[in-house]
Amino acid sequence: MSVDGQSVTGPQGAVSPQPAFSQSGLGKAQTPRRAVVVGGNRIPFARTGGAYTKSSNQDMLTAALDGLIARFGLQDERIGEVAAGAVLKHSRDFNLTREAVLGSALSAETPAYDLQQACATGLETVLGLANKIKLGQIESAIAGGVDSASDAPIAVSEGLREVLLDLNRAKTLPQRLRILARLRPKDLAPDAPNTGEPRTGLSMGEHQAVTTGQWKISREAQDEVAYNSHRNLAAAYDAGFFDDLLTPYRGLTRDSNLRADTTLEKLASLKPVFGRNLGSEATMTAGNSTPLTDGASTVLLASEEWADQHDLPKLAAVVDGESAAVDFVHGKDGLLMAPAFAVPRLLARNGLTLDDIDYFEIHEAFAGTVLSTLAAWEDEEFGRTRLGLDGAFGKVDRTRLNVNGSSLAAGHPFAATGGRIVATLAKMLHEKGQVDGRPALGLISVCAAGGQGVVALLEAQ
Amino acid sequence: MNTGQPIILGEMPSLSKLYVNAAAGAARRRILGSPAEAALPPVGHEVRAVLADVANLTAYQHLVGETASDVLPAGFIHALAFPVAISVMNRDDFPLPLLGMIHLRNVVEHRSPALFTEPLDITARAENLRAHRSGTQLDVIAEVRGSGEDTARWRGVSTYLAKGVFLPGIDKASATVEEEEFTAPDPTAVWQLGVDAGRAYAAVSGDFNPIHLSVLSAKALGLRRSIAHGMYLASRALADVGAAKGESFRWDVNFAAPVFLPARVALDISTIQAEGGAWLRSDYVAWNPRSGRKHFTGSVTVL
Repeated sequence: MSVDGQSVTGPQGAVSPQPAFSQSGLGKAQTPRRAVVVGGNRIPFARTGGAYTKSSNQDMLTAALDGLIARFGLQDERIGEVAAGAVLKHSRDFNLTREAVLGSALSAETPAYDLQQACATGLETVLGLANKIKLGQIESAIAGGVDSASDAPIAVSEGLREVLLDLNRAKTLPQRLRILARLRPKDLAPDAPNTGEPRTGLSMGEHQAVTTGQWKISREAQDEVAYNSHRNLAAAYDAGFFDDLLTPYRGLTRDSNLRADTTLEKLASLKPVFGRNLGSEATMTAGNSTPLTDGASTVLLASEEWADQHDLPKLAAVVDGESAAVDFVHGKDGLLMAPAFAVPRLLARNGLTLDDIDYFEIHEAFAGTVLSTLAAWEDEEFGRTRLGLDGAFGKVDRTRLNVNGSSLAAGHPFAATGGRIVATLAKMLHEKGQVDGRPALGLISVCAAGGQGVVALLEAQ
Repeated sequence: MNTGQPIILGEMPSLSKLYVNAAAGAARRRILGSPAEAALPPVGHEVRAVLADVANLTAYQHLVGETASDVLPAGFIHALAFPVAISVMNRDDFPLPLLGMIHLRNVVEHRSPALFTEPLDITARAENLRAHRSGTQLDVIAEVRGSGEDTARWRGVSTYLAKGVFLPGIDKASATVEEEEFTAPDPTAVWQLGVDAGRAYAAVSGDFNPIHLSVLSAKALGLRRSIAHGMYLASRALADVGAAKGESFRWDVNFAAPVFLPARVALDISTIQAEGGAWLRSDYVAWNPRSGRKHFTGSVTVL
């Protein structure tokens, strides 16, 4: 295949699409049994430096976990496995998830592991654990993620670190003095984490500004995405949608970034913060980019048998997932464009098109990310030359996109976003039930640092 | 006797002022001598609508190893109620010297959880003045209610000893209790307590009793080094018991030998389960791993 991109049938080109729907629903044709989302729980997300300033990742993950345990009566329950992670992680937190389990009301005999795939961490924990359930290795699982930009790790400089390690190895006083003499004042400056890509030195926002310019996404279109996010999230809160998805923490009952009263005029008045030194017009503001946020989320997954035995709900099945990565380093694709490749592959494998999807959850890292992805899918040339299709991949019905708000309004504690979206979408699908005689379908797309993306398909149960 | 309604204090008493006043009271007592009639204050004290400070709560939870949830740990409530308790022991009609008192035993009934967002009414009173083989002991009873509620969610009984103080009208304790021989079990944990452990707990609990702060301030009160707060040790043990204890439990601790700082403290926690696996009780004992001397014992029991 002469495609300078990522053909939807994958590098081997040999994967034939499965029949779309069998009598028993999607996914059963390929897998021995289903993995279902029982429910979720998160704490409200807080803008950095706000209500969770003094709370550590372990504190927040445990709080989200304990809320989930209380909601589904899991006290003393031995769960098959718990997987979670954090993007900004202290080195002492190497066993973050297991420590959170030990501090929770779960049975201490519940195993746990940490996972890290930048902003896709949360969604990847869901997919990995769902696969274990489908394979029959475990019956129940809790997926999650947490991040604190407030309580971020600060490392010592490379110079000081090398001196300290060498000092530890030195045996004599003269050796120690020689090593100490290497220290320079600049070595005492701490090394704080940043959102820059190691290979390009550009921040995520600057990367997206390049992509946003390339796809000619207007300022107005981005502000509209942000406006809809706030309006939809506020409406969902007002309708009580999050009542069984959220536990208050440290005085917060709603995401502190949510501006229910924001207007397009207010958003239009903000000054651009990214892409000010690029050729194209700078369009990305603090309003249409997600702020740094603290928070945690969890999702309870199970086999149908386990859910039934425990008399627990089955909201949606985790049907399938797909990862993709792009070569962003020298600008072949935008840093956050990997989902533009992952989604076509995922849908093709399941014999679906964008028209079959009832709800789209496209993580709003930036409004420009969502719009660039949609623009790529609607672009004939991108479809032909990059996806190996006959023409454009398709058009997303905007009335089905992020209908209960997304990261621009809720905030985005990196690893916690996947769990937020999976629990939200599973509940929406369950409420929707059947569409035209088949279970409602939902698609999740999450972009991540390093030019990666993870996407997933959920089906109403 | 404790008959009347408690005296309502307008605000939470300041512990540092109480300690200064206690030092002055000790000097006064030295000059004037003890009162002829040995009796506890006839009234208790109450402070209403007390709110926990969330930053302080988080610091406390991190220090003792509690999960940083919105629920107030039982030991944190003790610290919250402590100034009210001390204000009773600092009254002019309190018959024993406050400074230098030894915390012998503490029993808490944690009946239902309180969140940091809830205003709490805190009462404290002194009761049960009685002899001890080496002085005089009494109980300070603190109760914590949700503001306006009738029944206490938390009730703590702290037993203190005024060593070497024998009051008129109180008989000497007759029999000395035979101490059981202690053989240290295998530890389930070993704590490394730095020389600053007392200052760290003082910062989160507000209990700046000089015996915990530094070698010098402890020596001024007759100790060879500073010692760890008993309630810090007991609170760490409670945190170590973990979430198994549920929302309502009884938590007791008996203090034996003080922990001189810095120290290594060995701990054993053993869990007793019902048939079927339900948690019934966790017993703990802590000792000096070098000398084998017992520091404290206690248990957390289902209520």
